[in-house]
Amino acid sequence: MTGDADTAHPTAMALRRSVGTATATATSAGLAFAAIDYLGVVSILAYAPGATAAVAIFIGGVLVLLVSGIFSELNGLYPTAAGIRLYLGRAVGDRTALAITFTYMTTVVLVIAADAFLIGAAVRHVLGEPPVLAYLWIAVLLGVATTANLFGIRLAGWVQTVVTYTVLTGTAVLSIVAMFHVGGAFRHPFDLFGKGSFSGIQAIAFALFLYAAFEWVTTTAEEARTPPVITRALFIAPVLIWIVSSLFALSLAHLVPFARVHGSAYPQLLLGQAALGTVGELWMLALTVLTALNTFNGGFLVASRFIYAAAREGNLPRQFARLNLRAVPWLAVTSLAVASAVVAAIVFATGQWLLLVAVGATIEAGIYAIASLCLVVLRRRETRERPFRLVAGRPLAAFGVVLFSVLFVATGFSDPKNAHHFSVGPISVIVILGALSTAYVLLVVPKLRAAAAARAAAARPRRRPPRPPGPAQEPAQAPGSAHRSTPEAATGEQIS
Amino acid sequence: MADWDELAEALADYTVSCNENQRLRKMQRDWSRTLHFICSDTGKTFSMMVERGEILTTPEGHAGTPDIVVTTDSETFCDMFWGDLNPVQKYLRGEIMVKGSQEDVMRLDAISYVIWPDT
Repeated sequence: MTGDADTAHPTAMALRRSVGTATATATSAGLAFAAIDYLGVVSILAYAPGATAAVAIFIGGVLVLLVSGIFSELNGLYPTAAGIRLYLGRAVGDRTALAITFTYMTTVVLVIAADAFLIGAAVRHVLGEPPVLAYLWIAVLLGVATTANLFGIRLAGWVQTVVTYTVLTGTAVLSIVAMFHVGGAFRHPFDLFGKGSFSGIQAIAFALFLYAAFEWVTTTAEEARTPPVITRALFIAPVLIWIVSSLFALSLAHLVPFARVHGSAYPQLLLGQAALGTVGELWMLALTVLTALNTFNGGFLVASRFIYAAAREGNLPRQFARLNLRAVPWLAVTSLAVASAVVAAIVFATGQWLLLVAVGATIEAGIYAIASLCLVVLRRRETRERPFRLVAGRPLAAFGVVLFSVLFVATGFSDPKNAHHFSVGPISVIVILGALSTAYVLLVVPKLRAAAAARAAAARPRRRPPRPPGPAQEPAQAPGSAHRSTPEAATGEQIS
Repeated sequence: MADWDELAEALADYTVSCNENQRLRKMQRDWSRTLHFICSDTGKTFSMMVERGEILTTPEGHAGTPDIVVTTDSETFCDMFWGDLNPVQKYLRGEIMVKGSQEDVMRLDAISYVIWPDT
């Protein structure tokens, strides 16, 4: 892997406020390490018992480093918040890119809903309230997050950084305390396939979920001090998550019987309780609540701005681009909150929180496979220099396509509630989401774009005054210039 | 390619449109930024100073330390400042490149959207 020196980017413009490596790493790790990751560890334990879970998390981490390399190169090619749309569009076409992006963005709703549910359940448990009150806490959490977003309140970068490192350090410290508390040998240290020939692969696939969303840091590429900042974050954050998740998995497997954590929505509280009693339980509750700051702040921000851009581009109804007086796309934020509340209610009613983990893990493996495919294609189509170039990128990316496709299938047909069974639940959810996204892109988007083009053409003539004809001007006219072009071309409308 | 006179004319119109739009001024009342612009085809550079939502000046060259840097060709800049194109569409195709926070990028587009909602 090459090209990681600041000096290689002398033309990088110095912004008044820019993001350095520590903040970008915290953003990456903070987006990935949500409350649902504690359940992710339980899902791994379902397939890789005892200390073997740490082996699965390690292998998953190694695979994620390949993903880091792939996203680093893609981000170097398209260093923009819209990067995923750009490289998907260039590699697989605009319509497919849009359908994939819409499906991908549903994971944000799933993660917000899952975190709201898990935190609600954890708070209710600690306060000793009846189960039904968990949904009240979910509603309160989503209500607070929505209100803060609508008022344009966002976590400052340094607060986000402090929160992330507090959560990671706090989880690691309690896990270490928990391990010293008991001592003794680890159980099943290398029994990766102990629950069947496919179980090891499924454990690794679920391990990928622990790192899920770390790549969203690429959406901050435009505020990075230099391009290598994002690359460094993409490589450092998975290492941090690997360390913390491994410690948590080892201590959980060591201290709490699997039968207890398997049916629980708050395994981290059970570990805290087992390690340090009420203090440990409150410790883990505090960390769980802190994860919500990152999830709700980052999740609402990324998804609502994506919805805004999609509406402005003409791919969603234009109402989603409406702004309130704090320049917040209020309908996008409110819709996200409602969708998250509905998903959280379904999870609350059905108790299928491990299905959320499986769906998230499957989508993430699928996205990694698609990103690998993008790199294979763009290595051929995009010959320009990039600040980061993955060594042996083409064969490694081709390997990634196959590997992550296998892991996509492994999680898509998994049943974390019973490791010995297969289930079509996760893949069914994804097929439905994918089908809805594809149908929307094929049937609705062309109509929206046509309506937008008609509106733009009918609204008013071009405002820019025509350039007076002159001998010196004509040859200088750039090919494809918007000047003197049709209104459709001038507005950038392309109806596909 | 558009020359500086055309850009200046577009910027003047943009400045009036922004500063006279009361809803926009209210929305951007907490937004004070220095913007730098780079014409990728001509190499021309210019700046924009925004103070509490009001565009104060749009001088040639780069003045001050930027919060946002926008790069595209001069024709796109002209069309954008005249409100004849949708900046988001160009941005999502990689034809307009921006350096700055996501929030500032959205605010910049929001200006065009509020002034010319049908573009």
